[in-house]
Amino acid sequence: MLRNVYLKTLRDSKRSILYYSIGSIALGLYVTLFYPTIRDATGFADFLEQLPETLQSIIGDAETYTTAEGFLNAEVFSFMGPMVFGVFAIMAGTAAIAGEEESHTLDQLLANPISRRSVLLQKAGSMMTSMAVLSVALWVGLVGGSKIAGFDLSLTGTTQAIISLYLLGITLGLIALAIGASTGRKGLAGGIAAAVGVVGFLLDTFLSVVDALDPARFISLFYYFNSNDVIINGINPVHFLTLVAIALIAVIISIWRFEGRDLAS
Amino acid sequence: MAAAISTTDLTKFYGEHRGVLDVSLDINEGEVFGLLGPNGAGKTTCIRMFLDFIHPTSGSATVLGLDSRKNSVEIRRKVGYLPGDFVTYEKLTAHELLEYFANLRGDNLIRARTLSDRFNLDLTRKIGELSRGNRQKVGLVQAFMSDPELLILDEPTTGLDPLLQQEFHALVLEETKAGKTLFISSHVLSEVEIICDRVGIIREGSLVTVEEVDVLRERALTRVEIEFGDTVSAIDFEGVEGVTDVEVSDHLFTCNVTGSVDSLIKAAAKHTVIKIQSGQPGLEEVFLAYYNSSGGNGESENATAKAKGTSDAA
Repeated sequence: MLRNVYLKTLRDSKRSILYYSIGSIALGLYVTLFYPTIRDATGFADFLEQLPETLQSIIGDAETYTTAEGFLNAEVFSFMGPMVFGVFAIMAGTAAIAGEEESHTLDQLLANPISRRSVLLQKAGSMMTSMAVLSVALWVGLVGGSKIAGFDLSLTGTTQAIISLYLLGITLGLIALAIGASTGRKGLAGGIAAAVGVVGFLLDTFLSVVDALDPARFISLFYYFNSNDVIINGINPVHFLTLVAIALIAVIISIWRFEGRDLAS
Repeated sequence: MAAAISTTDLTKFYGEHRGVLDVSLDINEGEVFGLLGPNGAGKTTCIRMFLDFIHPTSGSATVLGLDSRKNSVEIRRKVGYLPGDFVTYEKLTAHELLEYFANLRGDNLIRARTLSDRFNLDLTRKIGELSRGNRQKVGLVQAFMSDPELLILDEPTTGLDPLLQQEFHALVLEETKAGKTLFISSHVLSEVEIICDRVGIIREGSLVTVEEVDVLRERALTRVEIEFGDTVSAIDFEGVEGVTDVEVSDHLFTCNVTGSVDSLIKAAAKHTVIKIQSGQPGLEEVFLAYYNSSGGNGESENATAKAKGTSDAA
């Protein structure tokens, strides 16, 4: 695990990968094992139906909430999933360059014959790998839980929703990486990336219920992540590619700024 | 002879703040070069530009014939580096760290093990648990382990006890014999005197002079204090080569000597000598002595006065 920067970074985060994976499995199991109770509770859909649209958009859509996919969409892919994945990715993205710089280990790492670009890409790769592990864990939790609870869950829908969640997570992580690599400041990187996530979430939720503001939803990452209700309707290629493009831009900015600046001693 | 490091008007500003100014320097292959200067003079700034951690504001540097900006990775493959305060991954053991860095360099750990034994370093301990001295030893081992052509060492003996300093000096000597080039920064004259061939003096970001160590020593002041068995007079020492700033009070005689103390000793031998003490000149004295002997302007008096005032502390 000390062969290169990529593996060393995975080694450093093995504990948090383990805990977040357990958390992801637990989230999947909790939600799926809870679902039959909601499905069988008569009148729950009627109750939702009577709520104003604003509240429905927060709790869950009345038409789909009692279906397995609709329930998971509301309980996993609206808030909890993005939060778990976002927090992990932002922490990893922040630690990558700014973290090393603030703990004064970056000079010594870069005294070895390895380019800044390579260090950055290996660290980004390590974050993306860790996130993939979390994604698999969530998938196992959801699919396993549905089997235990004995209901049918769309595997393609679930897989696509997790892919979309993964993409949202790494985009937030890469934004944190970009700010950290550009400034060397961990707090700033984590703060801005978290703000992009939280504000994006709030904007997407509230802009979607105000018809007049609906066209403005495109400014939030959450719009590209799940405005299509991916677990029900599948990935929207345009949204998917937009997130990929934002992630790529973050990587390009990271490299450009990191290579061009002085390192803090 | 080719230059191991060559800088042309190397300048670095941190915003408005001066780092180094127009440093032009050639360090030959196979020599041990000392960059001497007080803290904040710009020694580390130079080193960090050689390794491309920071970029020059203007001017350029080549290291082993390679451009410091364009060929940085290639440079770092051939250079061993030890910073002034060796900070690294605290959670790794010393062995794990050396293994990691060896992997990044595509090396094995054979030489690292030999060096660790030599410096009596326990490789099983975590870096975070090591004393400053032991941490510095890890730093030395990782700098030397890949058998690099050029060693850049920033205040290398900080935190090492005298015995290990000697061991380090021995290692430097071996490296020199093997044809390696060493660039060492220090704020301690006695250290560069022992190990360096040439010394550059840097002050407030500017390179003041580059001299052979022998020349520097000749120009250096030594503070000498002699206790005589009988009463002496300042007149007895008038005109003695190199002697200045004579002060006599009863049996006690003090003065500054530039270069060799031979003439003073011969003059003193005419009397009964009870005790002789001499102080290592401090860095500021060396600088001022240099300035004094080459300048001879209005500031020289001031320089001598300052040298006098601080020589006891040296």
